[in-house]
Amino acid sequence: MLNKFINKIAPRSPWLYRLNAGSCNGCDVELATVALIPRYDVERLGCKYCGSPRHADIVLISGPLTSRVRDKVLRVYDEIPHPKVTLACGACPVSGGVYRDSYTVNSPIDQYIPIDVVVPGCPPRPHAIIEGVALALEIWRKRLEEGTCSRS
Amino acid sequence: MTSFFEATFAMLIFPGGLFALAAGLMLKGVDRKAVARLQRRVGPPLYQPALDVLKLTVKETLIPHTANELAFKLAPVLGLSGVLLTAAVMPIGGVWNGVTGMKDLLVLLYLLPLPAMALMIAGSASSSPYGALGFSREMVVMFAYEMPLIASFLAVAVRVGGTGGSMFALDSIINYQMAHGPMIFDPIMLPAFIAMLLFIPGTMGAGLFDIPEAEPEVIEGPLLEYSGPLLAMFQLMSAVKLVVVVELVVALFMPNGLGGNVLVNLVWHLFKCLALMLVAVTVFRASTGRLRLEQGFTFFVKYTSPLALASLGLAYMLR
Repeated sequence: MLNKFINKIAPRSPWLYRLNAGSCNGCDVELATVALIPRYDVERLGCKYCGSPRHADIVLISGPLTSRVRDKVLRVYDEIPHPKVTLACGACPVSGGVYRDSYTVNSPIDQYIPIDVVVPGCPPRPHAIIEGVALALEIWRKRLEEGTCSRS
Repeated sequence: MTSFFEATFAMLIFPGGLFALAAGLMLKGVDRKAVARLQRRVGPPLYQPALDVLKLTVKETLIPHTANELAFKLAPVLGLSGVLLTAAVMPIGGVWNGVTGMKDLLVLLYLLPLPAMALMIAGSASSSPYGALGFSREMVVMFAYEMPLIASFLAVAVRVGGTGGSMFALDSIINYQMAHGPMIFDPIMLPAFIAMLLFIPGTMGAGLFDIPEAEPEVIEGPLLEYSGPLLAMFQLMSAVKLVVVVELVVALFMPNGLGGNVLVNLVWHLFKCLALMLVAVTVFRASTGRLRLEQGFTFFVKYTSPLALASLGLAYMLR
């Protein structure tokens, strides 16, 4: 009963964590300016940026996963407590974007990390990112009800 | 026996326990909403902090394998129980005179650093370099704001003690102000009140003094490694701590009620707490940036402590 209640209200408090997998910073700038500025305020949805991966619920991954940061990104991803949802921001995590034929990138990122929501674009529009966060919330709600996690 | 029941009631329901938790979460919610409105955003609903706490209870708890597990788990318990105890001891003017046998300013002086101590234990037990940095920052900031706090306490006590009654008894402080008007209108005590206004953001880590838990610098410092229910306890601790420090300033400087009705006095008390928090935390947080550690320390030593000491000196001379 209490668990059901908490599962129902928990998706109204998603904490976002930005994970930069070798991004060019374009998506990061979009992410940083999307959430807590007057025009597109996702704090309305209860979102909050957190600095520590251990506080995170929704992971926003940007960048093509360069070889240099791959192990560190995977380690940080494992430090995020379940249940969690992954959102890939921009073209890079899906295809490598403008870096796609480079020998230093490991995209697509879902060879390593299960991706739940993809927001394409280079960089994506703020509206698209907000919609992606809203979709991620739906997935998170289901995951809470089923008691599954993105690894299983 | 009655004092046992009284103490239990104070600890679990009012003014500690449930009341303090509810008031703390409400104040935190108003704080977030007001900051959002000041930045011309819509902001989260008022009950957002309660949602955050409930959400954290269903999250996984991760404990770093290098951490000292016992200290890591006990730190949030110590912090939360410490602030709840402090809230239980706090008198509310016109409503609640405090638990018998615990109406003492010195008890408060010893209880108030408990949340900071809990954060220090948490930071050092988590075995993370950022936690260690947060630990050292927390300690330095605490040393800085303890001085004006003690000086303000002494100033109030000396002012009250000068006209008879026990110096450090909380109820005599309240009774003195009921008889002579609130301390905030006393020109001698005004510097101490300003010092306490700066102590609130100092101990809450808001605005200029967001040093120990600075998110972009030390990634929330002591809280870095915490997740799930343990983090929820720290969130509750921070909420109750906000109530405690605000209620402390209300009790020391403006505890006067609005007549005899208990309910009216309680609403008036909550209103005073809210107004104080909006001034000392919300507006302060929305309009200032973070200082460096040594700048924050110097600020308290150079500007806040002399204010409180001036009040103390004047009160002592005009006894």
